[in-house]
Amino acid sequence: MAEQTLNIPQILVFLLVAFLGYRWFVAKPSSTSTRSGSQNRAVRVNPVQVDQIEAMFPQLSRRDIAYDLHKNGGNVTATTEKVLAGGRLEPAPASFNPPMPRSVPASRTPPVKPAQPDLITRYNLSSKLSATAEASASEPQKKPKAWSQDRNERQANFQRRREEMILAARRKMEEKERAKTTGTLA
Amino acid sequence: MTSSASKRLFKEYKSLSSDPPEGITAGPLSEDDMFLWEALIQGPEGTPFEGGVFPAELKFPKDYPLAPPTMRFLVDMWHPNVYPNGTVCISILHAPGDDPLHYEKASERWSPIQSVEKILISVMSMLAEPNDESPANVDAARMWREKRAEYERIVRDNVRKSLGL
Repeated sequence: MAEQTLNIPQILVFLLVAFLGYRWFVAKPSSTSTRSGSQNRAVRVNPVQVDQIEAMFPQLSRRDIAYDLHKNGGNVTATTEKVLAGGRLEPAPASFNPPMPRSVPASRTPPVKPAQPDLITRYNLSSKLSATAEASASEPQKKPKAWSQDRNERQANFQRRREEMILAARRKMEEKERAKTTGTLA
Repeated sequence: MTSSASKRLFKEYKSLSSDPPEGITAGPLSEDDMFLWEALIQGPEGTPFEGGVFPAELKFPKDYPLAPPTMRFLVDMWHPNVYPNGTVCISILHAPGDDPLHYEKASERWSPIQSVEKILISVMSMLAEPNDESPANVDAARMWREKRAEYERIVRDNVRKSLGL
């Protein structure tokens, strides 16, 4: 009985020591890894330099180039000479994972010409799209007077005729597409 | 000069509005400036342009109708006779004097007896039947000649896109 009561603090002390020992073992490698991580961060590999070397030696992998630049502190000339002398670079270790965005993809794709806005945007008709679909379906098109003596009315008529033309084309195209999709489904 | 030009343009505007040709709407953007028009042309049926509506701007010179207007589409047009920037290149828009290639018949070219209506009708039939002889868009012309199916697909895609679909 007395033995058992004496054992409880012993067990507690043992657990504490074991815990501290465990902490010490676990913490040691993690602290070294954070240090090497900070080293990694300190020497940033400039993607432009990687591109430069890759342009000269397309047979090399970007990772190996970046690793060599990382080792020599971003010295393009040194890396170039190393390749010229040895023909190849030391392969980058698996742990070496620098952020390597390509700096040039924008210049490789041909510049895209900004497309013209579509007619619905151009004439600001998005609000009228759904509204007129019902209106024109229900009521027969009333023929407005084509030519008015009033200048503003003429202007408004012209505006409306253009809008109607576009909306009619849009509706027709929508119907055609709907017919096509139902046709393929059936 | 200017007043006779705008008078004539006003007259054409009136006749185009009272009796518009099928599939064509045209007029000045604002009556303050009779020399800048906007036209809408429907794509001719039975062509890949069918179902589309194509806006274009017409710019008239101060000595209209002695000199022809220029016409530029305001949507992407893939057509042998339309420059990539949208400018239309057909004989009726060329003054009799300026024909560097001498392939156009004088009767087809611009003269004061022509009109906006005739221009727009010519452009409409140009959409249906490109003129292969003097392509403004060489790539489109080649595609039209050699890969008709691909040409028609691009045109149809542009039509759908222009209608916001």
